[in-house]
Amino acid sequence: MADLSKELLQSIAEVLAGVPVDPADLPSNVAQLGSQLDGLARLDDLDLLGVEPATMVLPPTEAPHGR
Amino acid sequence: MAASELTTLSIAEAGDQIRRRSLSPVELTRAYLDRIAARDAECRCYITVLRDQALAAAAALEKEIVAGQYRGPLHGIPIGLKDLIMTRGIRTTCGSRILKDWVPETDATVASRLFNAGAVLLGKLNLHEFAYGPTGVNPHYGTARNPWGIDRMPGGSSSGSGGGVAAFYCAGALGTDTGGSVRIPASLCGIVGLKPTYGRVSRAGVVPLAWSLDHVGPMSRTVADAALILQAMAGQDSADPSTAAVPVPDYRSGLTGEVRGLRVGIVRDLFFERLDPDVRVAVEAAVRRLEGLGVRIEEVRLPRIHHATPAVFAIIAAESMAYHEPYLKTRASEYGADVRARLLTGQFVLATQYLKAQRARQVLRAEMDNALRQVDALLTPTTPIPAPRTDEREVTVEGVRDDVRAWLTRCTRPINLTGNPALSVPCGLTASGLPIGLQLVGRQFDEATLLRLGHAYEAVSPFRAHRPPQAD
Repeated sequence: MADLSKELLQSIAEVLAGVPVDPADLPSNVAQLGSQLDGLARLDDLDLLGVEPATMVLPPTEAPHGR
Repeated sequence: MAASELTTLSIAEAGDQIRRRSLSPVELTRAYLDRIAARDAECRCYITVLRDQALAAAAALEKEIVAGQYRGPLHGIPIGLKDLIMTRGIRTTCGSRILKDWVPETDATVASRLFNAGAVLLGKLNLHEFAYGPTGVNPHYGTARNPWGIDRMPGGSSSGSGGGVAAFYCAGALGTDTGGSVRIPASLCGIVGLKPTYGRVSRAGVVPLAWSLDHVGPMSRTVADAALILQAMAGQDSADPSTAAVPVPDYRSGLTGEVRGLRVGIVRDLFFERLDPDVRVAVEAAVRRLEGLGVRIEEVRLPRIHHATPAVFAIIAAESMAYHEPYLKTRASEYGADVRARLLTGQFVLATQYLKAQRARQVLRAEMDNALRQVDALLTPTTPIPAPRTDEREVTVEGVRDDVRAWLTRCTRPINLTGNPALSVPCGLTASGLPIGLQLVGRQFDEATLLRLGHAYEAVSPFRAHRPPQAD
């Protein structure tokens, strides 16, 4: 699991996001985010250079008459 | 037929009797309401029960039948809706304290389509708060219980829908599915759950968890019933730009029982890694039963599907935080502790990680679509484990201990990312008597083949003879 500090997350929440922090939530935030960071980094293995992001609200392009 | 037996009828059976005027919608609705009143205090499947409104609606629908105005197979059928589906004049809590008194002024499109088809709304069903969790544990309204074991979680987030259908508290229900929230409770409660293709069913008027992963789907006791519910609500909706103008086939007419020659792919990557032993045995046995029906089984590879897990995490985390941010800035203390913490994690996902996840989604969708050019459907377990106890937070499988939420969503969330339709059908019981689910994944907008396969399998499934202890 990646090494994240509660203090770092608290700063992001309060300074960047403007969301009040309950310190009791931070250990859970650290655990949840930390457990996914390696997997998120490994998305680079997919060679995404030529891939555009999925468009959020549109149906799959495979739809015969999809938009 | 005794009132207690009426609630055991499938939608197809009850609908046929209503059409022939041998069963009254009022009689059927009252049977369900009486059962709920007698038993749901323990199971907590409903947040709101609409006794007077349901009986009034059933009476009006009965008059239509007498007048020869038959709406179709859902005419007079009592259903429940997950309580994040907006209902005009009826509170819609989302399983939360924040929206405990919210009364929408409009119906969600799916609700209005079911009402137009003649469905009777019995009430609003319990869920994991704001649908953000696969366990169904709810600190505000109590945790819905699994009728197969009162100490077991029904799965979530559509916990009341799963438990309610299994316990005969409604003939069918709607759930929503962002990472498995229709299919997981279907698997854990021994019922049928269908996540349609992204774009097949409108999400207008359904409170979102993550816009790009949310789906609305039917939950029922038979595959044919899921087909009937889907039929009534599928199709393009001008209120939801994500819905597609893809023709909706006649699902029920495809349920012929004939599946000979269809090709089904077994995906070992990710989906068969570390399974509860009883789940592995039941799913492998289901494969042999499908072979016995003439289905051709092939091994299919999805070598990059592991990347779905972090991608889904980033998308759900970022989108759910974006939706909830106004509440989190002003009313954070009103959330349950687990949902608040999960939501707040979303503010730490970078925009680049979110977009990388949406790009990975394109790659994984293409891989899935390519696999489904080789076969007609894919087969996996729905959940690697049967229903955990409501107080379990971690479970060990094949020597690996992990969070219950991770186990429950492992096989379902990749399909939210790719948007393919996926059907969960019961395929057996564990040695301790808990249901096991089989997941079938289809081509984009090909729910019909899944329903056809599921219906044929259901007829030979060892599960079909069983009923939950709480149903007696």
